[in-house]
Amino acid sequence: MAKFVTIGERLSTTAPAVNKAFTERDPEPILKRAKQQLDAGAVYLDVNIGPAESDGEDLMKWAVQLLQSEFDNVPLALDTSNKKAIEAGISVYNRSKGKPIVNSADAAGRIENIDLAAANDAIVIALCNGEGIAKDNDERMAFCQLLLERGLEHGMEAEDLWFDPLFLVVKGMQDKQMQILECIKMFSDMGLNSTGGLSNNSNGMPKHIRPIMDSALVAMCMMQGLTSAIVNPNDLRLMETIKSCDIFKNNTLYADSYLEI
Amino acid sequence: MPFTAKSGKFNASIKPVTIGSGDKAATIGGENVLPFYSFDAEIANAPKVGIEVTDFGMEHEPECLKKYYDGCTTAADMVKKAVAFEGVDFISFRMEGGDPNGANKSTEDLMATLGEVIEAAGDMPLVICGSKNAERDAELLQKAAELAQGKNAIILAAREENYKTVGAAAGLAYNQIVGAESSVDINLAKQLNVLLTQLGVNASNVVMNVGSAAAGYGYEYVASTMQRIKAAALSQNDAQLQMPIITPVASEAWATKEASASEEDVPGWGDVESRGIDMEVETAAADLACGSNAVILKHPVSVATVSKLIKELV
Repeated sequence: MAKFVTIGERLSTTAPAVNKAFTERDPEPILKRAKQQLDAGAVYLDVNIGPAESDGEDLMKWAVQLLQSEFDNVPLALDTSNKKAIEAGISVYNRSKGKPIVNSADAAGRIENIDLAAANDAIVIALCNGEGIAKDNDERMAFCQLLLERGLEHGMEAEDLWFDPLFLVVKGMQDKQMQILECIKMFSDMGLNSTGGLSNNSNGMPKHIRPIMDSALVAMCMMQGLTSAIVNPNDLRLMETIKSCDIFKNNTLYADSYLEI
Repeated sequence: MPFTAKSGKFNASIKPVTIGSGDKAATIGGENVLPFYSFDAEIANAPKVGIEVTDFGMEHEPECLKKYYDGCTTAADMVKKAVAFEGVDFISFRMEGGDPNGANKSTEDLMATLGEVIEAAGDMPLVICGSKNAERDAELLQKAAELAQGKNAIILAAREENYKTVGAAAGLAYNQIVGAESSVDINLAKQLNVLLTQLGVNASNVVMNVGSAAAGYGYEYVASTMQRIKAAALSQNDAQLQMPIITPVASEAWATKEASASEEDVPGWGDVESRGIDMEVETAAADLACGSNAVILKHPVSVATVSKLIKELV
């Protein structure tokens, strides 16, 4: 089995400092956060430029080129609701270290992002969601089938669709957590790759609790067969948990210094 | 449905490492397929074969070797002949006499012998091996790395107990290639490479000796160790295990009773020289099939045989 793929989530317009740097095209804060994530073991970096309706194309190109030239063609997830911006980003993307990830498609308004990924030989995060949150796993798996078929019809390899069960917040939806874990097992049994915004589970919890909840959940998810997650790689406890689970799953060979590499 | 053959070529590869310099420089590693899977992708560099000489010269060598080293007494005498033997890609000099529990020769004596060996080897690539005593080797190999400056030799080996001294001398101070030795322990093999790179040694200047045994003497552990390492390096793209593997065979194969028991003692076993060669060739062939990028042998006939085997397969 391949190593768990961590996608670093810290380049996002939801962070005011990043938003400002994107708007002003200021490389320094972007590169600093990117380096912190890569040093901590992130494989992919998510580049969330928000809706970016006015200058998305220009901004995504700028961000892709900035990050890839500084960090040896680091593979990236292009994260925006602006489709033209994703295409613009891919047009300047160097894939020597991995295909670009389109973040994301769903089974409702964003289903065309599957076609976009297919046309550009990209990976796509396929959110098993329609309008609103799926009510149960029957519905999630129906969306999964729909998205998978759409990808295959457009010539994609199944492995390039990374299915996202949509992680739900514990505070409010505690009774749904096991459903998500069961859903991941269903993806895994079908041989499908999976990912998602795992830290959503601990939204609204005290800061010192979140790494504990995230680590516990990632371990349970990896047991169920989750192959990737969009996370904060600078959460040391979480990264230590992922690296340790990779050892148990025989995804990497153990060495005493495994946490340092 | 038509059958589509799937290529066994990996997206990862073993790091190529060059020993020596000039026309005779030997490069090992570089491949992105399993050993001898040349039908899936070209093997970047064929495995290499070295011949072993020790500081005792002819003194401790089996009787059967004498006819090949006619007139030789010292290690340097032997090296002068060995460089011309068929199939020899590099010379391996082992400082057996440095073992404190054995002859315990002085460092000065051993360095003098090494100096002669370096001169005798000319432009043939060199592997310099210690006494197998980790504490003594820290001193010996440090001096040897200094003495062999400019030779781009493999210093065999840095072990868990002495990697700081040996790694720093060979890999940092004197620009040699560091041989990292672990004894049939996959986790330690990886750990040593991590430690050496953390020390500052360039990962492209490291080769591994992951352990050796003669065929029939616990060999299955060696085989599974090498196979697991190659699997991690290629299928899991584990950068900390993508160093080429070098395996000393001679010291193991010739120490077995099959190679040494006299014809008087075991008349049913046949010619003692053929037995020794067989043990050495069989062990080396198995090592190569399991992933060794270089093997160190003793008998000129074994060297020629294994070298021919490689040429036929790559």
